[in-house]
Amino acid sequence: MRKPYQVWMPILLVAFQTVAASAQSFRVQCPTNTITHPDTTPAQLVNSAEPAYSGPTSLLMGPSGFLIPDPAAKNANGAIKCQQISGGDGYSTMGDGTQTYMFSFGPLSGLADIAKGLPGTQFPSVFNTVPTRTLSPGDPATTDGPFTSSSFPLDPSTFTFSYNGAVGLAKDVPNLVTIYDIVEIGNTVYVQTNAPLGLKNGDPVVISGTGLAYDGTRMVATANYTFPTAGVPGVTNYGFAAVNNFTFTLSTASNLADVNTSQTATAAIPAGYDGHVDPRPIMDVGVMNGNIPAPLMAIDEDDEFFLTLTNVGMIMRPDLFEQHTVHFHGYPNASSFYDGVPDASVAINIGASFTYYYLAPDAGTYFWHCHITPPEHLQMGMVGQLYVRPRQNRVPTTMTLYQGLSAQQTDLRTKCDSTTDILCSNPLPIGGDNSVAGGFTATGPTKMFAYNDGDGSTQYDVEYPIQIHGFDPNFHFVGMTFNPEGFSDMKDKYFLLNGRSYPDTVTVGPLATVSTDGSQHFSQPLSAIINIPAGKRALLRISDLDVTEYQTLASLGIPMQVVGYNAKLLRDQAGNNLYYTTNSITLGGGESLDVILDATGYTAGQVFYLYTPNLDHLSNDAENFGGLMTEVRIN
Amino acid sequence: MRATNMKKINLKTQLLLAAMVAVAMLFTVSAQAAAPGITGTTFALTAAANYLNQPDGQAVYSWGYGCTTAPPAASFAPAGLTKTGFCNTMQVPGPTLIVTEGQTVQVTLTNGLPAAAGNTSILFPGFQVSTTGGVTGLLTQEAAPGSTVVYSFVASSPGTRSYYSGTQSDLQVEMGLYGAIIVLPAASKVPANCTAGALAGSTHIGFSGANGTAENFWHENDFRLAPAAYDHPDTCYDREYLFQFAEMDPNIHTQALAQVTATTGCTAGAAGCSLNVPTEPYHPAYFLINGRSMPDDMDPNYASEYPHQPYNGDPHMHPGELTLIRVIGQGRWQHPFHEHGNHVRILARDGNLIVSSSTLTYAGTTTPVQALAGPLQFTTTTTPGLAFDGIFYWTAKGLNWDAYGHNPTSKNPSATLPCTPDGNGYNTGAPTAINYYEWCQDHNKPVQAAPFGDVNGGGPATLPDPNLFTNGPWYGGSPYLGPDATTRATGCTAPGTQANGPNGTQAGAQCGQTGSTPPSGTIANSPSSEAGFAFMWHSHNEREITTNNIFPGGMLMMMLVDSREYQIDETN
Repeated sequence: MRKPYQVWMPILLVAFQTVAASAQSFRVQCPTNTITHPDTTPAQLVNSAEPAYSGPTSLLMGPSGFLIPDPAAKNANGAIKCQQISGGDGYSTMGDGTQTYMFSFGPLSGLADIAKGLPGTQFPSVFNTVPTRTLSPGDPATTDGPFTSSSFPLDPSTFTFSYNGAVGLAKDVPNLVTIYDIVEIGNTVYVQTNAPLGLKNGDPVVISGTGLAYDGTRMVATANYTFPTAGVPGVTNYGFAAVNNFTFTLSTASNLADVNTSQTATAAIPAGYDGHVDPRPIMDVGVMNGNIPAPLMAIDEDDEFFLTLTNVGMIMRPDLFEQHTVHFHGYPNASSFYDGVPDASVAINIGASFTYYYLAPDAGTYFWHCHITPPEHLQMGMVGQLYVRPRQNRVPTTMTLYQGLSAQQTDLRTKCDSTTDILCSNPLPIGGDNSVAGGFTATGPTKMFAYNDGDGSTQYDVEYPIQIHGFDPNFHFVGMTFNPEGFSDMKDKYFLLNGRSYPDTVTVGPLATVSTDGSQHFSQPLSAIINIPAGKRALLRISDLDVTEYQTLASLGIPMQVVGYNAKLLRDQAGNNLYYTTNSITLGGGESLDVILDATGYTAGQVFYLYTPNLDHLSNDAENFGGLMTEVRIN
Repeated sequence: MRATNMKKINLKTQLLLAAMVAVAMLFTVSAQAAAPGITGTTFALTAAANYLNQPDGQAVYSWGYGCTTAPPAASFAPAGLTKTGFCNTMQVPGPTLIVTEGQTVQVTLTNGLPAAAGNTSILFPGFQVSTTGGVTGLLTQEAAPGSTVVYSFVASSPGTRSYYSGTQSDLQVEMGLYGAIIVLPAASKVPANCTAGALAGSTHIGFSGANGTAENFWHENDFRLAPAAYDHPDTCYDREYLFQFAEMDPNIHTQALAQVTATTGCTAGAAGCSLNVPTEPYHPAYFLINGRSMPDDMDPNYASEYPHQPYNGDPHMHPGELTLIRVIGQGRWQHPFHEHGNHVRILARDGNLIVSSSTLTYAGTTTPVQALAGPLQFTTTTTPGLAFDGIFYWTAKGLNWDAYGHNPTSKNPSATLPCTPDGNGYNTGAPTAINYYEWCQDHNKPVQAAPFGDVNGGGPATLPDPNLFTNGPWYGGSPYLGPDATTRATGCTAPGTQANGPNGTQAGAQCGQTGSTPPSGTIANSPSSEAGFAFMWHSHNEREITTNNIFPGGMLMMMLVDSREYQIDETN
């Protein structure tokens, strides 16, 4: 049942909207530099790598009245990360061979990485690239395939599809505005345009139609130029807002005449990759490409994350005009605008894109999902995994982890003081500095941690995101038809780890499903096998998105050390670790938990099971063996 | 969501629901919650039958505890609710009993249930209860139909606990015989750092010292039951709410009514004067917070439409206010309760404070005490029979953009307010400012690349074309917090006040444009009067946010973070 206001809202909007708005539909956003991550180098790649963390970003008051990273210190922490996803529908394959219809998200960036079971999150240097060949419906499965039933398991290392950029990215047409006034004083040219071009210092700008030697491609000297009140000689209307004005240096001519209110003079930004997309590849790749779990996301603390949701519509349900959103589940102090709750914010219509923006919150295992009609859209499969890696991964080898965590106390944003803040979650460990050194080198982290523990206790060698979910086949069937759905009798019959039920959970590589478009799609890219080298430690990032009941997961073999819960380190206010060891954990829908499996003392070749003691969940619908189970393999 | 997305339900009910949702929306504009109840040491409760209203138009036959006689107005708490409070002879949940640590509490229960329902009783888990009168039952002394039993106990320690029927519980608790008891810390044990006036120099986030000054300035009353939840200096709070979760299977209620009707007038204990209502298989279709389904839960406390469901679930708070949530699982199922917006620090379970083996000296205190050790959770489990207390707060920390849309080049004075960080980074020096508790590190920092309205540009994100959106009834109309910021961001300002007009002498070129979704459709969070940040607090067993198969409904409420200029009034 649609809430009445949601029926009337679009009508009201149409009725009352007299505002002219610029035309946009699909688009992506992935700037190479921002206020928080400035970049003045020509290569524009500073924000496409994670620097070492040895202390907070040095901030100073900038000219616009807000704090900016100190350009002299050049120690802005973190990087910029971007990802694009589609909202639509698709099919997945259950453990008994049944193809299940889903409302689902699919990857529209990082396609090659997702196919390998990796996060689809990319630096701008990768996201803002275009493929070398035309993308096909079903890609990357179409390029890497075709697959037959004997093809599985697939070996992702043999895949030839390698493109990880933003699907659809295309050069925009030049952004062109008319020049109101242009004049040169000495060798400095002052330009007033009738509309802002959005220039920055150093940007190229194409001047044409002035009839004088102004014409040509010039480099902006001062963007957002404010004319002195007395005016510059020859400039008739110095009062234009600064965003309309810029200057450049023209050494080949001096004191060129003023050109005022010309009919032909224009300034333009050359065509480039600025987030404009061509909808055709987006529809080719994005339609019916639903994944379960939804595309994996991973960012680091101090990163800025630009997540573009592109709503391609649901082909199997042309009667629906479903919006979609992304809720970043568990993000602290979220703004409701980006919280993804349609009742409290905005929802994205079919044929449109919206970019969610967040500065990475505290490290931890979060997850994400659509928040439109949650009992329906979550059950139907719009659930994904998301984790934030700690600053501690970036502490250099020359510092101890404790010193790294101590350094975080010197920035109010990252400090954690239990005596003043009741929500402080990772105070300095009570034992003091235990001299465990950081592991970050020029080539990247050599040690990985679940949290900023300051004592190395959450260190791991391999990590596995594990999503618990359940499908009710009856609900999914009804969801594919035009019939009304019931909620209170929802009963899951497929029990899923990373969208797969046993034995598919231990199939390596992606699962492919032929969809109604006749193409194979990597419907379930993430295997649930847990491979641990003997003597090493594995971090399981477990999240439960089931919408009907609580789920228990038990380890037959290696005990589970629980180090984090709901994206927070298990540590009391005084700094004592509250980790506990168990062989089973229970989660409700909307909860997450971090478990470390320590394979010290185990030998290669051993296999253990991770399964649910909710024994009726060890089934694939009518098959009485399968369901919520996978293997832990020591190798 | 779709228009056809519902089980068979007749058109009349649909229209009724539509009308009720619309009416509810009107009410939610000003309704807030608190943790209302009745105070005292001696309570006279009656168990009786009546009907609960549900938003699908159904009136569900239920049993509940109520007040044997109407309590005097002065016994209703918090003080601001004494004028509106009522306690009928039957309500679900039962009256919230508010007592003080160390007091001896006496509860006299009268069994006013239909004779066929047999005996009834109350359990007070966590207390050493002694009984007077009644007849012997399995778990405690019971009241036979028409008779009474008296329970006495000492409220030994502070905290939130449940009470519920200990007789044929599978049926009687399902029918609604449950409630909450809140024990407040004894006055002599309230930590000194929690009382107003002691906080002038406190550097702890929240607490009523400076927050109290802000509340006074904006003409808000104090709706707390006490300054602290426990005898512990880190349990001070600024605002509080009580949520009792329970589910209801209408088939059980229908059968109970049918059997009660068939045995009307029978003599208690006589042959055939009994009920035989199966409570399995269990198919709940109503999912209740404080006895109401969304959107009814966001109507006011003591709203006249719900004579037997007096308590609501409609939390509001200002940035930086420590909000105590008291949560009880009263049904037979667990419900993962997801609080959007931040984590909750769990203080205690069933009135037992969870503390560390080590000590801490908290800000504003000089004596080390055992540190808190409860977990931080974004999804809190409501387990049958279990109560927890937790503290939540929200600030804009870490957004990386100014939630108030400040613009230092504006000529609008409230767009250029200062932000002076305290030791935690918040603007707490001026409790009367709109941006009290603003996170200063992001002060003036814009969110979007192209400017709109009177809000500065240059930020990392670009807000898209409003035609691409469908907006919700709790959308505040802009990405910004509060009516002042939203008006500046979306409205047409007076000539000369808009910074991006040429020379600042004309209305800006973008006057009348929003750059975001037009706020004209928002009806539950007015852009011009509230414009809060709305967060959904709900069961994450998502099928439970439905009412009898209709979405939305059930265990769902909207929590509003309101900027300081919006007055949060818990009285209505």
